[in-house]
Amino acid sequence: MAGSYAETPVTHEFAQGRGYVLPEYPFVPPPEIASGDVSHQPIVIVGGGLTGLTMACALAGYGIRAVLLDEDNTVGAKGASSRGICYTQKSLEIFQRLGIYERIAAKGIQWSVGRTFAGKDEVCSFDLRQQSGYNLSSQPPFINIQQFYIEAYLVDRIRQLGHVDLRWCNRVTAFEQSNECATLTVTTPAGDYRIRADHVIDATGSHSPFRKWVGASVTAKKGDDRWCIADVRFTHRPPTERHTWIEAPFNENRAVWQHLMGDDVWRIDYQMPPDADPEYVSREDVVRDRLTRQFGADCQVQIVWVGPYAYRSECIDRMRHGRVFFMGDSAKVVSPFGARGGNTGVADADNLAWKLAAVMKGRAAPALLDSFHEERHEAAQQNVMVTNRTARFLRPAAGVEKLFRDAALGLARQYVFARQLVNTGRMAIANPYTRSSACEPAGGQSVQNVGFLWADGSRGTVNDLLQWADGRLLLLLFGEASPHGLARLRDLAETAPLRCVQVAGADDRVAAREHVRDPLGHLQGACHVFGHAWALLRPDSYVAATGESIDATLVHALGKALGAALEETAR
Amino acid sequence: MRTALHLQDADAFYEQLLDAHQGLSREASELLNARLILLLANQVGDAKVLQECVEAARRLPE
Repeated sequence: MAGSYAETPVTHEFAQGRGYVLPEYPFVPPPEIASGDVSHQPIVIVGGGLTGLTMACALAGYGIRAVLLDEDNTVGAKGASSRGICYTQKSLEIFQRLGIYERIAAKGIQWSVGRTFAGKDEVCSFDLRQQSGYNLSSQPPFINIQQFYIEAYLVDRIRQLGHVDLRWCNRVTAFEQSNECATLTVTTPAGDYRIRADHVIDATGSHSPFRKWVGASVTAKKGDDRWCIADVRFTHRPPTERHTWIEAPFNENRAVWQHLMGDDVWRIDYQMPPDADPEYVSREDVVRDRLTRQFGADCQVQIVWVGPYAYRSECIDRMRHGRVFFMGDSAKVVSPFGARGGNTGVADADNLAWKLAAVMKGRAAPALLDSFHEERHEAAQQNVMVTNRTARFLRPAAGVEKLFRDAALGLARQYVFARQLVNTGRMAIANPYTRSSACEPAGGQSVQNVGFLWADGSRGTVNDLLQWADGRLLLLLFGEASPHGLARLRDLAETAPLRCVQVAGADDRVAAREHVRDPLGHLQGACHVFGHAWALLRPDSYVAATGESIDATLVHALGKALGAALEETAR
Repeated sequence: MRTALHLQDADAFYEQLLDAHQGLSREASELLNARLILLLANQVGDAKVLQECVEAARRLPE
């Protein structure tokens, strides 16, 4: 899995490995330095990693102006060319909306099968394509690709879209906020300057300085589990599957991960003894010995990158502090098991981007921004809980925890039920929102990017509809529509940022001007409704609410989704 | 969680349990118990009942 959380500052790129040539972006002296003015920006994003760039790209897509400050002049972690590798269907659907999915699909590796071994035996396996939760989206369950590729694609896309000023080699050194604005002090190779902002996005990562600047409290847990990644290319070609060993005979009965990514690079991630010395375990001869034990002496191995890491789990208690929104690793840090790190950051960005855009365009009330914390903190807590459980299975405490793992592994070899106890990571999902002030109780669920037919019979997807709605809410009306209901919707769409579409089944009569066909019921299923119903979709492809008739409950839900109390105008 | 008797033959089960541990080392005994807990938990299934059983097991008599 992704070794995204190297706390140990030791990374090596062996000279004989081809490594990666990362793109470099030019430093342009900011206009504030020449003018001496303190500029005022609606949005400043700090940090140009996966999360910050996703945020910037999403805002650019909505046509919202922002400045992004990154302390580096390249993508990828400092000194490390590889971080996260596993991208979920939800992230891929988001990247499709942002316009970089095709490049990711061309470079990355699709996979859906995972197998878990204990000793020499396979104890369980899964195929995500066989699971109904995954098989209808236009995007596959997972694509593995080096994180810096996605970051570079995002940079290219942002440059295409405009609206966002990407400032490389701009490091924020101080921050303060008041009722009027936030003020950031920035250091650059050309000198220092100050910039004011209405909203600040902290996407600086797990060592965020903003936590201290705003006095944020953090709930944390640190363990003694140590791992060492070897990203390699070799003559041997294992299957394109996720293989995990709980007790690998070739790694002193400790865990091993094996996963493919772009450029035929395999990530082999070895669990080390507790508190192992990172210098020693990442020494080239020691790494080579490990690889030889796993793949045999005759296997030609080219080491691309080695990264020892420890992980911790941390979750900020409030994801919004005044004008500052925390997202990605700034908000929470988890172990890499289950791909719940980077993917969560992508979803954080997608969640806040449409809300900020709607508020800036005057379509939603500023109160909507509070739902960012409600929704994404629930997701963060969920991901922390799930990854902590995995970590506990993979590194059980001596004594009774190890005893129960032995019992579970033994039973898993004998009985089907016990395979579910074997926990090598529960793959990340689009987290549901159950306590959001912007969603009705039946809402808060993600909608997959499924297909349907446009009125002319050509194929469309949910993302096409969202793009057509262009940052507005989207009401899908399933089944036949009454003239009265349609008239009411027309009135609503005139006063609220809303677009309405009738979704007709195979035999339904079409009444609305804007309509599509859903002969297989995929769109309706993806929206979690049945029969005659409506679903209110948000630009992040989450259902805000569902209902049956076009009445006051819809108007109420619409208001809620916009952070405002909405009254239907009298006719 | 049921607290009234549900076992069909309490004495026989108790004897069976003790017999299963006969001749086992302490470690093997502990493993047997752990396996048995997981097997029985799957028979129960119900999350609330299991939670109450775990809590009840932790609560020793005064």
